[in-house]
Amino acid sequence: MTKTALVTGASRGIGLETTRRFLHNSEDITTVVMFARKSDDFDAAVEELRSSSPVGRKIITRYVDVGDRDSLHEALESVHGEVGNIDILVNNAGYTNPVPLQQAEIEDFEKTMSVNVYAPFLIVKQLLNHGNEFKLIVNIASTAGINGRSGWLTYSASKAAVINMSQVMREELAIYGTRVVCLSPGRTATALRRTLAPEEDPSTIMQPEHVARVIETFASPVGRFIDSENIVVRQ
Amino acid sequence: MYSLILLNGGIGARIGANEPKQLLKLRGIPILVYSLVMANRVEKIDQIVLNYPPEWKEGVEEVLRDYAISTPVTLVEAGDSRHSSVAAMLPHCTNDDVIIHEAARPLVTKRNFEDLIASEHSNVSLMTPISFTVAPVDPETHEVTGSLERDQLRNVQLPQKFSKADLQDAHAKAEQDHKVYTEDATLVAVTGHSVHFIEGSDVNFKVTTPTDLRMAGFLLRPEEEDDD
Repeated sequence: MTKTALVTGASRGIGLETTRRFLHNSEDITTVVMFARKSDDFDAAVEELRSSSPVGRKIITRYVDVGDRDSLHEALESVHGEVGNIDILVNNAGYTNPVPLQQAEIEDFEKTMSVNVYAPFLIVKQLLNHGNEFKLIVNIASTAGINGRSGWLTYSASKAAVINMSQVMREELAIYGTRVVCLSPGRTATALRRTLAPEEDPSTIMQPEHVARVIETFASPVGRFIDSENIVVRQ
Repeated sequence: MYSLILLNGGIGARIGANEPKQLLKLRGIPILVYSLVMANRVEKIDQIVLNYPPEWKEGVEEVLRDYAISTPVTLVEAGDSRHSSVAAMLPHCTNDDVIIHEAARPLVTKRNFEDLIASEHSNVSLMTPISFTVAPVDPETHEVTGSLERDQLRNVQLPQKFSKADLQDAHAKAEQDHKVYTEDATLVAVTGHSVHFIEGSDVNFKVTTPTDLRMAGFLLRPEEEDDD
């Protein structure tokens, strides 16, 4: 049976590499919905994927800032109408603005929570309310959600929430047979990581495609044998 | 196709709750949801007739909406007893064959429904062997009055399926005789219609007491919690 996947934050980094692996390597994922904010990077990535993907693979895109509830709601309504059931969801979109506690603004904390925590919740809830039955949900957390890091209060707190929220989703969605996996990558060479650690040489740390390979495995037939409340991948 | 009569009208007096026990939470989810989600997945059930305790219609409608139950649902206010509720729900069934289940058995599986539907007989109940001895007694004198053959007895479970005509006939006769039954397999059989049974499951028990609620929660835990 063919499957449809939805990946948020799909314009670059882990989201883009996950989309690429789904399109190129998966035996049964034939449609991938990409959510990302409008950008030249996103357009270029979609164009490249469309020209390189095997015949029969479908790419559907929506320009959406998942932190904007109204546009997220609208994008989900339109995608649900177009593709029907979303079988695999990868909640990857992330935001951070690392500043010390004394300098953290509540508005920025709220934005961090909106993108990192509320958006995955809203996507899952809205689709469930439409009768969507997920086979697999992958929530991307972070090792910073396991141990808080100095200077990263808002990001660490939001990712801790993702880890805990995933545990609840896992229990509540068991009645549908949905697998919920929380994945906590360590240092990965993404744009977000550059914001967190601008002085770091990205070639020395884990690459987005490494994390994407792990996500691809979750979505593959052997993925159901990998079972953990929070899987850590680090170099 | 089948109409499912889903009994959902009881107030959880024995469970010590202030709300209907079907809206009580089991692992954080209203008990009613477990049966609804399973029934919603059974292709041959194309109608659910669901009753609700008086004043709890809104709560039940909210559950149906939030959990996106796509099978059409007909809501009927609960009667004074289980017997009268079934009698009141039957005329709302649009199919010639009906299945009866109760929300207080949240561990029912899609397979339970499908096994029932697959049976060649029209009137069938899930039942399990009895692993203990049942004694006939005189409740007034506290005297044991005889002995029952355990092999000849079964623990009656739900779901059950019936020909709607047979079930209606049985209820009409019971009303005529002013008799009230606690379940429908024996009612239909006593009326003279043939009723068969298939093997039920020991986990498909009725959640009646706080202990039952805890046991059901235990059985619904993710399996890895039992790992070494």
